[in-house]
Amino acid sequence: MTDKAKQIVLTAVMAALVLALSVLCLFSPLTEYSLSERRSLAGRPEFTADRVFSGQFASDFERFTQDQFPLREEFRALKSATSLYLFRQKTVNDLYLAEGHISKVVPWIEERMIEHATERFRFLQETYFPEKTPLLAVVPDKNFYLAEKNGFLTFDHAELMETLREALPAFSVTDLSELLTLEDYYTTDTHWRQERITHVADFLAGQFGRTLPQEYREVPMHVPFYGVYHGQLALPVKPDVISYLENPTISGLSVTSYDSGAPESVDLYNAQKGEGKDGYELFLGGSHAVLTIENPAAEGELVVFCDSFGQSMAPLLAQGYGKTTLVDIRYIQSAMVGAFVNFEHADVLFLYSTMMLNQASVLK
Amino acid sequence: MLFSSITFLYVFLPCVLLLYFLAPKRLKNTVLLLVSLVFYAWGEPKYVVLMIASVFQGYVFARLMEKTERRAVKKLFLILSLAVSLGLLGYFKYAGFFLESFASLTGLSVPVLKIALPIGISFYTFQILSYVVDVYRGDVPAQKNILSLGAYISMFPQLIAGPIVRYSDIAESLEERSHSLALASDGIRRFVLGLAKKILIANTLGELVAAMTTARDVSVLYFWLYAIAFSLQIYFDFSGYSDMAIGLGKLFGFRFMENFNYPFISASISEFWRRWHISLGSWFRDYVYIPLGGNRVGKGRLLFNLLVVWMLTGLWHGAAWNFVVWGLFFAVFLIAEKYFLGKFLEKHRVVGHVYVLITVVISFVIFNATSMMEAGFFLAAMFGAKGYPLVSGEFLYQLGQYGVVLILACVGATPWVKTLAQRIPKKLANVLEPIVLVLLLLICTAYLVDGSFNPFLYFRF
Repeated sequence: MTDKAKQIVLTAVMAALVLALSVLCLFSPLTEYSLSERRSLAGRPEFTADRVFSGQFASDFERFTQDQFPLREEFRALKSATSLYLFRQKTVNDLYLAEGHISKVVPWIEERMIEHATERFRFLQETYFPEKTPLLAVVPDKNFYLAEKNGFLTFDHAELMETLREALPAFSVTDLSELLTLEDYYTTDTHWRQERITHVADFLAGQFGRTLPQEYREVPMHVPFYGVYHGQLALPVKPDVISYLENPTISGLSVTSYDSGAPESVDLYNAQKGEGKDGYELFLGGSHAVLTIENPAAEGELVVFCDSFGQSMAPLLAQGYGKTTLVDIRYIQSAMVGAFVNFEHADVLFLYSTMMLNQASVLK
Repeated sequence: MLFSSITFLYVFLPCVLLLYFLAPKRLKNTVLLLVSLVFYAWGEPKYVVLMIASVFQGYVFARLMEKTERRAVKKLFLILSLAVSLGLLGYFKYAGFFLESFASLTGLSVPVLKIALPIGISFYTFQILSYVVDVYRGDVPAQKNILSLGAYISMFPQLIAGPIVRYSDIAESLEERSHSLALASDGIRRFVLGLAKKILIANTLGELVAAMTTARDVSVLYFWLYAIAFSLQIYFDFSGYSDMAIGLGKLFGFRFMENFNYPFISASISEFWRRWHISLGSWFRDYVYIPLGGNRVGKGRLLFNLLVVWMLTGLWHGAAWNFVVWGLFFAVFLIAEKYFLGKFLEKHRVVGHVYVLITVVISFVIFNATSMMEAGFFLAAMFGAKGYPLVSGEFLYQLGQYGVVLILACVGATPWVKTLAQRIPKKLANVLEPIVLVLLLLICTAYLVDGSFNPFLYFRF
């Protein structure tokens, strides 16, 4: 190719590329939601004198062009591929791929977060059930099984457990790490698989002297499950299959949510949500501030303070109790819990993942 | 507005190029001026008035200087223009720093000034200063068209981060310039390479530098890794921006001066400063050092001249003591080279390279510190005086995470890549070049679409 030809080709191709992307960026129909990132995308900003002079219009417009850029998902995949395979970086957006799993690097225990979480837990115990010894079961992040042996930074899980035991002398603190393996987690998501944790449910129920049925039928969803990490990594990784467990006892459970203040019946397994933006919402339809599960086949009460890991565990534990109450203090003030829950004859379980404990500022 | 943003690349630039090339020749400077004001106002709606006022006073005083024959009156206009330009720069950039320093020195209670720094004020003020001084000296005629002068000062490719373009260098192009396919394609090539330097190398190294602020498992080598990464980050950030500015200039028919010439291959600090931020170094040489007497003075005065120039160079980069120390740090080595070290370094080039790399890396630790205390801490840690282990797990992890980018940055900071590219047969190179550039643009776009980490270090100057 001659110099002249090169100049023509380079100028023409660049001009065409920039112009095409520019037109598509500005005039394509807006995309309101990013399924892969699970967030709303910025729309066209409002043009007013106030917003222009304050600089708000400029920053909103920057976000708009970034969010509404054509072939956004493909460009995000290109960035991830460049970082991982060309620059040989170990992580993209703090995410890494190892042993077929996507996981997020969590290098440190955030002491302030752990202090906040334990302070909230002590408040609940001292306020509502000072005479009881609640069980705190800690679910390890899947990094526990992946990070160190694959050369990624991770915090000292044993040190975290020690810190929790020291900070919560009135609790019985249990580490679930020895009961679980990497295979018990979804490959593209943070959560554990319900069909792989029945033995953990047996263990937890056993701590309160309860036994659970041993027979389950696994029901897989028919759409692929793209976990939260899948979209963040933006690379074509094989999706998971999400399943739920059924048996006659579970079929008899009835669920009531108190999110709106008034009792409202919800599905134990919400297949529609299971096929939606976040497949893990299959379990109880997602997180709720306060939710009860009634079981006519059993007696006694269990109160579970939990994060989203509790959503898939609750149907299993609920088989052992007449009434199971789930409380998520991300969505309700700890001081308000007493208005909805009676602890008098209840067993009390705190079920939290290390990931949530490490970002506990959201616990109210 | 950042060059390295989707808004600039895919909204502002295409619109500006369309407007510019559709406009008749006599209106091209006006178009450049207007779009440059929009570019500036995008991030700083308030301060665009300040820039217009600065341009206006420069225009008026230069015209008045040209109209009068009397030397004293001419000098008066020069002093007035310098006072306005330096007064504005002093107020917006240095007033808070001087007041704070005065308060801490005297123990007096002085009101705290919190003034936002107008973007690019150091760059456009220096351009106005050089213009009025050149007119005063009779080196260039005063620009009669305020729109053309406005287009020169505010021209968006070099407005906020240089190079500091001299009026004398582009005065002719402002009146009459040609546009050609060769110049445009060369401009595109230069712009895309600059963009890639900024986004792929500087921003990635910036993540490594930022990680140091939250590091918990530090070691001596981790501090060195941080210092080396920041030195490379600032080089690729600033030289990448200069490449983009030079490339954009070519698209509009201008040829801006080179601002960097592989500074890390220098074998002395004097050579380093002939290769690093060339437009600033030559500005201080021509408008401060030589008027102070330059080299043609006694030893004591020469020492004084060097210290003044380098203290001002440091202060130009930021209103804080660490920048002053940074400037004086270089002054010490430059003086040493002038008197005794220079000849030794000429004979021992390898030692010179090692000396430059270590000195420059240390200097950037001082440069990037938030205070002299922090700078002292980092330097002490680098030399093992803080009791940290030599190696830590986090250091090894970060080395693995950023190793390839660090190697690319080290190689890219030398002329090796250019030399290698020149060895490719011409015909093959002509085929490969457009492919590589398109790929680089697409990858940079991908990083912008997905990225939130896009700092720009020289915005603060």
